[in-house]
Amino acid sequence: MSDGRPARRASISGAVGEDHTVQPEEVQPVQLLTPEGKLAENEVYSPFIAELSAEKLRELYRYMAMERRLDAEATSLQRQGQLALWAPALGQEAAQVGTIAAIKSSDMVFPTYREHAMALYRGISPEELLTMFRATRHTGWDPREHNFHVYTLVLASQTLHAAGWAMGIKQDRRTDSVPRDRAEDEIVVACIGDGATSQGDAHESMVFAASYELPLLYFIQNNHWAISVPTRTQSRGPLVNRAKGYGFEGVRVDGNDVLASYAVASKLSGDIRAGSGPKLIESVTYRMGAHTTADDPTKYRSSEEEELWKGRDPIARYRSWLSSAGHADEGFFAEVDAEYKDLAADMRKSVLALEPIDLDRVFDTVYSEPHRQVETEKAWLKDYEAGFAEEQTEAGTAG
Amino acid sequence: MAETFNLPDVGEGLTEAEVVTWRTTVGATVEVNDIVVEIETAKSLVELPVPFAGVVTELLAAEGETLEVGAPLIRIAAEGEATPDAGSAPEAAAEPAAQEPAEPPAAEEKPGRSRSARAKKSAAQKREGAERDAAAREAPESPAQNEALVGSGPKADSAVRRTRTRSTSPDLVDLEGLDIASPAPAGGGYPDIADIVARASPPVRALAKRLGVAVWELVGSGRNGQITRDDVERQARQKLEQRASGQVPAPGAPAPGRRKTTPEEAGLLYDGPREENIQVRGVRKATARNVTASATTVPHVSVFKEVDVTRTMELRQALKNDPSYAGLSVSPMLFAAKAIIWAARRNPQVNATWHDTHYTLRNYLNLGIAAATPRGLVVPVIHEAHAFNTRGLAAALTQLTIDAREGRTTPGEMQGGTVSITNIGSLGLDSGTPILPPGQASIVALGAVRKKPWVVEGQIVPRDVMVIGGSFDHRLIDGDLAGRFISDVAAVMEQPGLLID
Repeated sequence: MSDGRPARRASISGAVGEDHTVQPEEVQPVQLLTPEGKLAENEVYSPFIAELSAEKLRELYRYMAMERRLDAEATSLQRQGQLALWAPALGQEAAQVGTIAAIKSSDMVFPTYREHAMALYRGISPEELLTMFRATRHTGWDPREHNFHVYTLVLASQTLHAAGWAMGIKQDRRTDSVPRDRAEDEIVVACIGDGATSQGDAHESMVFAASYELPLLYFIQNNHWAISVPTRTQSRGPLVNRAKGYGFEGVRVDGNDVLASYAVASKLSGDIRAGSGPKLIESVTYRMGAHTTADDPTKYRSSEEEELWKGRDPIARYRSWLSSAGHADEGFFAEVDAEYKDLAADMRKSVLALEPIDLDRVFDTVYSEPHRQVETEKAWLKDYEAGFAEEQTEAGTAG
Repeated sequence: MAETFNLPDVGEGLTEAEVVTWRTTVGATVEVNDIVVEIETAKSLVELPVPFAGVVTELLAAEGETLEVGAPLIRIAAEGEATPDAGSAPEAAAEPAAQEPAEPPAAEEKPGRSRSARAKKSAAQKREGAERDAAAREAPESPAQNEALVGSGPKADSAVRRTRTRSTSPDLVDLEGLDIASPAPAGGGYPDIADIVARASPPVRALAKRLGVAVWELVGSGRNGQITRDDVERQARQKLEQRASGQVPAPGAPAPGRRKTTPEEAGLLYDGPREENIQVRGVRKATARNVTASATTVPHVSVFKEVDVTRTMELRQALKNDPSYAGLSVSPMLFAAKAIIWAARRNPQVNATWHDTHYTLRNYLNLGIAAATPRGLVVPVIHEAHAFNTRGLAAALTQLTIDAREGRTTPGEMQGGTVSITNIGSLGLDSGTPILPPGQASIVALGAVRKKPWVVEGQIVPRDVMVIGGSFDHRLIDGDLAGRFISDVAAVMEQPGLLID
């Protein structure tokens, strides 16, 4: 450390059972709503909230609740053998909804594989969202239609895609050739998790973003756990400090506070749009569920820790403020619940009806024109598939 | 009608799960997504929500039972429908039995038992009010609980392969229009495609195809036997050179005469197939299992000492001339055995077995003798070797060696060794680091006895010299103790008079 202080040691072996929610050299995250649901004043960020209509405030709640309901249904579907995998976003609704609501629909977003609330906000349907998890399509939506890139499972590689996209924007503006279907003031959001920030791709992306002063907002959701590795094992200081190293600004925000998430993203995206170059948000939140349905968090974290974060539930916090501030009544919440119960039932039906991926299509879309080698391989695979012994008819769980 | 919820794969590629706790009972009403059972996979404890609403009519597995993915778990009848009547019950109960993977072979299973017999048994149980079917009852005890993996660790289940009815040719590259003779597999039928795919990457396979090299005949020089570009190119070059020099006929060319090609002409070491797979069985298999277990679990430490055994060789000659030893093998091994017993008495910890939480000291010595036989390595044991006098021990060693060579050593005679000897001197070797037999903490290696210049009282004189060494279980035996033990054995070999009490 340059300031001569000895680095605070946190041993990996002693990590389990400790409080992972406290980072060394704590940087207080921006918070507007206290966990008790009281609104605090903040000179920089409060004005962004003051602009929001009651309807917009209720909309934020709607998308958070929608994500949570969809998440529960998807988890059940996976447990019933109807999805290959599901990566829950449970607990991260405020971070995602607050951020996506603060940018323009013309801004390109590069998600990881957990940005369900952001996808829903961009108009992607639950069914489209689940096709990849049911392995019936490589992706369920057209990225251009929603300005929302496909889910990327290779950790942090989307940060490079985002930097590339942002370089394209920069180039288009320099040559005065912004395509007609792209906005003049477009910026790019690169989503990334705390664990993936350790990937080399994240570093390369940030170096390029800084060097080229790209219109790029890094949105780190620090949910405290990279599968079973606590954040502080990978980052001894707050992740937000990394931005400084690359030479741009980073802001730490309470990711379980949808209003703070909205305000911080509004402020930074506005700065980027005004030509500031890249910015970074470290959104401090918590993955209340498992990493994926193939993970068992009880094996590496304590129930005390989970209870602590249950008390910071982003939806409960926001709901209590909405009612106390008079922006929504019980009728609204009941209506939302009923609406999403139907949505879940519809989603279950449509997901069960999804057809498996068509192998022909996989080959036929490699090149735009027929290709002899691809044809050979396609024929080979068909022959190979035909060479299996007949299986007993599967007793379908769907009945 | 009742709907069946089969055990899904709740992880990524899991093949089985154990039923831990039922959260519902027969007759209970459930809604979609109600948690009905808790299961444990290799990865995690998982609560399963039911995909149907209705009344539970059957729980198809017992708590503690391990089911394969796809096996029926629970049956739900839509609300308002009666529980299955007597007519449909047997068929419903027979269904799991018909799913072969779901039913592990049970010990009491008779080969002749038909499916209908199972169905009848199941039906009978059903009439008795049993909730679980035959498959559930006959399932073996669940295996010991898997070591818990943290989070999404590597999957622990072995992959299940679908059965194939025929092989598919590894013809992955389209060569139409290229002037190349494609290699045909020798002896008809390709090797397992999966094997080729595993050993050679697509670009390497494509290269082999282009160069007319039969990739399945190559021996990979890369990591884990991977076939590399070099392997392919080398083979192609060789073929080209051989063809140019007329050594090997081009494919399709008529064979010149009927003369049998020599191994040299065929580019082989000796007459025989280029590669041959030999089934591992018997002694080879047991040896492989034992040395693997020992070498991977026991930290070995080895020590050596070169010693003047002239006096032992003189004593040996004296005994050989003694009529009471007539017909008995009087070898350096005999004196080494006596020396080991003497040294083990002074160093009890070498004669012991390690058990992690404790170790067992043996106040007796069962001496294992490693013997090379035509069937492979066997280690017959002289039980209670410390109780024999010298002549008795010589007789026991003689008999044991004969039995081993003739393959008459019984399994019982190979059990229970506490310390072993391996006589690598008979192979003309001086020393080595033997691997410990299972359950033993010490093995002594005897080198060859050689005439060597040796310094005795300041003079260089020819003496009989051998190297005595051994391997020890380092968890139990420090270098210090191993050294003292081998030094004691060596001391007796140098001064056999020490054996006289």
